[in-house]
Amino acid sequence: MRSSRIAFCVFTVLVLATPGLSAQADSMTVRVNAAVRSYERGERAAANREFQTFIDIYNTRADRLTSSEFVAVAVAVTYLGVDDPQLFKDALKAYDRAIAADPDNLDARVRLGELFLLKFNAEEAKKTLTAALAKKSSYVPALIAEARRRDFDNEPGADSLLDRALELEPESVSGRVLKARFLADVEDFAGAAREADRALKAGPENAEALAFRAALARVAGDSLANADARRRYSALYPKEADVQLATAELLSRVRQYANAAEVAREGAQLDPTNWRVHAVRGANLLRMGDVAAAKRSLETAFKGDPYDIWAKNTLDLLDTFGEYDEITNERFTFMIEKAESQILSLYLKELLDRGYSTFQKRYAWTPPVPVRVEVYRSHADFSVRTVGLAGIGALGVSFGNTIAFDSPAAKDAGPFNWGSTAWHELAHTFTLGSSDHRVPRWLSEGLSVFEERRAHPGWGQSVSPSFLKAFEDKKLVPASRMNDGFIRPAFPQQVMLSYYQASLLCEMIARDFGEPALVQMLQAYRGGASTEQVVARVLKLDAAGFDRRFDAYLRERFGRAMAAVSDRDASVEQHMPADELVARANAKPDNYWLQLAVGRALIARKDYTKATEVLERARALFPEYGGAEGAYGGLVRARQASGDVKGAAATLQAMSALGEMPYEMHLTLADLWLQQGDTAKAADALENALFMNPFDIAQHERLAELFARSGDKRRAVRERMAVVALRPVDVAEAQYRLALAYRNAGDLRNAKRSVLRALEEAPHFERAQELLLALVEPKP
Amino acid sequence: MRARRPALVLILVLTLALVGASSNAGAQTRLVIVSGLAGAPKYAQAFSQLSNALAQAAKDRAGLPDSAIAWYGDPAGTKSRWHRGPSQRDTLEAVLGRFGERPVAEQLVLVLIGHGSGEGADTKISLPGPDLTARDFSRILGRLGSRRVAFLNLTSASGDMMSVLAAPGRVVITATKSAFERNESHFGEYFVEAFAKDGADTDKDNRVSMLEAFRYADAETKRLYDADGRLATEHPQIADESEVARLFFLTPGARARASGNARLNVLYAETFALDEQIQALRKKKDSMTADAYDAELERLLVPLALKSREIRQLEKGP
Repeated sequence: MRSSRIAFCVFTVLVLATPGLSAQADSMTVRVNAAVRSYERGERAAANREFQTFIDIYNTRADRLTSSEFVAVAVAVTYLGVDDPQLFKDALKAYDRAIAADPDNLDARVRLGELFLLKFNAEEAKKTLTAALAKKSSYVPALIAEARRRDFDNEPGADSLLDRALELEPESVSGRVLKARFLADVEDFAGAAREADRALKAGPENAEALAFRAALARVAGDSLANADARRRYSALYPKEADVQLATAELLSRVRQYANAAEVAREGAQLDPTNWRVHAVRGANLLRMGDVAAAKRSLETAFKGDPYDIWAKNTLDLLDTFGEYDEITNERFTFMIEKAESQILSLYLKELLDRGYSTFQKRYAWTPPVPVRVEVYRSHADFSVRTVGLAGIGALGVSFGNTIAFDSPAAKDAGPFNWGSTAWHELAHTFTLGSSDHRVPRWLSEGLSVFEERRAHPGWGQSVSPSFLKAFEDKKLVPASRMNDGFIRPAFPQQVMLSYYQASLLCEMIARDFGEPALVQMLQAYRGGASTEQVVARVLKLDAAGFDRRFDAYLRERFGRAMAAVSDRDASVEQHMPADELVARANAKPDNYWLQLAVGRALIARKDYTKATEVLERARALFPEYGGAEGAYGGLVRARQASGDVKGAAATLQAMSALGEMPYEMHLTLADLWLQQGDTAKAADALENALFMNPFDIAQHERLAELFARSGDKRRAVRERMAVVALRPVDVAEAQYRLALAYRNAGDLRNAKRSVLRALEEAPHFERAQELLLALVEPKP
Repeated sequence: MRARRPALVLILVLTLALVGASSNAGAQTRLVIVSGLAGAPKYAQAFSQLSNALAQAAKDRAGLPDSAIAWYGDPAGTKSRWHRGPSQRDTLEAVLGRFGERPVAEQLVLVLIGHGSGEGADTKISLPGPDLTARDFSRILGRLGSRRVAFLNLTSASGDMMSVLAAPGRVVITATKSAFERNESHFGEYFVEAFAKDGADTDKDNRVSMLEAFRYADAETKRLYDADGRLATEHPQIADESEVARLFFLTPGARARASGNARLNVLYAETFALDEQIQALRKKKDSMTADAYDAELERLLVPLALKSREIRQLEKGP
């Protein structure tokens, strides 16, 4: 994670340059450097005693110190701040004095920027580094620090700034290490190792380079290189835990949370004052669902470093856990906010239990139980749970045996299908687990989307014109580099398109090589194989063959649609008569966009018969596309407007099977089926609607009636339970109806319990009284 | 000056109307609806509709005679058979002042509909002409002595009236929690709906108490804002006298119908005793196991159901 490159800041830029300084400044710089060395060797008490003397110097001679001497004071105080975080404020003061004494002291400015970043204050870091670069735009330490800052803020330009720094100073150790980190972020571990080796060549004793090299070797499974880097590091820095910190963070990045937590534990044992290592341990324990232990580690981290915004946010979140219910069964522990735990658990238990059985069989793997399922009513809370900060774009996350996702009540998340989201995340639990967390992201995401589509018509992503356009423009990554589509996106929409692309890759493998091939791939990854090796071993293809095969698959599957959407000439004049519109559409019958435009224009002219003809042609050209702005949406409108209820229902039904539909469209579909008396299909449509919005009491009541009418007693009970769970104003009526549903289902014990709840609320409720008497009176 | 003369005439007429209504000895509740200055046609229409809907519900569903219902509204609004005159300060002072002369057993339900403003004791309902403030209402209601009163302020920015008007034995409901919630209020629509439609009678005793109406309207208002994805700009409140509000109805209860039938009187007394035991049991719920609680509840509810069945049969007659 990004945090590591901040944590290293202090230790990578401390050694002060000495040429050109006055004798006194030189003396103080030498002394602070010596103390830093002493600290790094593990002689911390002696080093801290020496650092303390700098405070005395500041207090007695501040008016006579030079800019460089102020920097030496700031460095000393920063080290003392490890044990007393309030001292960081004094370090800031010393840096400010250093800059005031010499505005051209760029070293002081960069150090100050780094300190701000170390304390998670990116805004001040940005100001400080911008000022440094304004003084000298080619100052390499400032370029590297600003690259770090931009990466921290997820701002564009971090890579190009770093490249510029490395052009100016190719053997910059901190630059090469940062480059290694950037490459590791996109899972190019071989490239990262090359950069770390180059850094070590220039600075064989550099702490950050050694620590990161060790971490890279661990993730790559290179135990010899790992041992070598560790040995070298511990000889130089015997009481520092940066190897463990870097390793834990990198393991966490590749989703090996248990290993990350264990390595972080070792780090915390070695250096109990490395607050970041406590925080990283806490974050990974939380990912594993061990809330109590995670909280202890995070509290230690935050106590030691109250500037750690990740630790603070996460602790704040943990403080709200008292507002959640924990509901445990044989397979799951659901953690859901009390206000909605009853309603959501009602569906999640059923849905995820089905998912568990399905995946257990399919992937021949059983996760440790219970799987922890956390549902967040606030997207910001979910975001903090996932990355420690607000603002994440995803709706769900799987850490393996812990999954978390937004509640459908999370308004800040926007409308989404919470059922398919839960299903998607649970699939990760099995693909991560069965591969010992070694499955690459493309396969895990691809399988999850593939599983969504297999679970339910309309779930999971489906093909869109933008996907076909990206394919046609050769913007999609080839199959053998599918992971790049997720971790090195070349354009803003690429990650979203990659989910669908990866799922198609899984579909192709299942179709051409059989479903067991997907399981064999997971097992091969478990054994440590690379994607190239996995494809060669399981699919008997080399990378080029894999790419060709997938390309052919996409062309076979979408070739016709691709041709139909490639011609975007669809201009239609506003006042063109209907016959002319039709003639224009007929002239280019293979142009999807033109058929759509003409269809819409004909609807606007209320010529529904002709509109339907033209839109049917559009549908035939691209039948897989169910987006509301496509042919299906227009056809439904035309058929509804012309009174063709049967046709509208059939079209909307087909559309619902092609992708996610808004809540209201599911309700419309239910109404259309009800108008034709088809209660089973109406109930299906309403059930689908519940996965967009489960909080509408009226729809649960409708569904309960439909199930009761169709004799589905189990689901009638479920819907009556849902009404009760939503805490209607008329609790007594809701409980009474639940009691009736139980009685109809033959569950007299629960029927009596529910009717007692009704009468507890309304003792004179006549119908409930009669039901109670019927339930307690002995049968003749 | 000229404008005031017709108003004085109206006051006289209205006072007579109310006095006339008082001869109806059967009515136990007097409903006085005050709809304030609308300011714009759409509000004039909305306030009239709401006032009429409440009056209609009081008549049709709570069984109040027309003579027990009086509506004073903005002259700009449409009028109905319950309209007794303009909602001017002098008129209302006179009408409510006269109410103090009526038998103390008669209860007053005073409903304010319209725009509110001001703060603290100066919180007011906008009326044609001078407004009436919380301080004014406190003075007026203070003259009604120990009479049961429900003061229901459904206007915007009504929250501060609560602290001024809350009193023992008095039901006070406001549509907002403070003077700062000044946006158009929807609570009133749902509060009226509670009496006009099914759904609010949650204890199934075939009548809607003030507490039930409040809870219904509160829940529906929240639901409205949730459904629209908006942050609520109104937070209704009820005076901390829930027992009073739970037993305050527009209409008298079924027990009143028992008079003259000895068996019914006994049955009502027994069901009343069982009601009390059930209420007492509910208070002990948290200290009991679920099974023990349900067993005890069933022990009380079964005889209550049997007695209620007998009451229904007796009331239905042979």
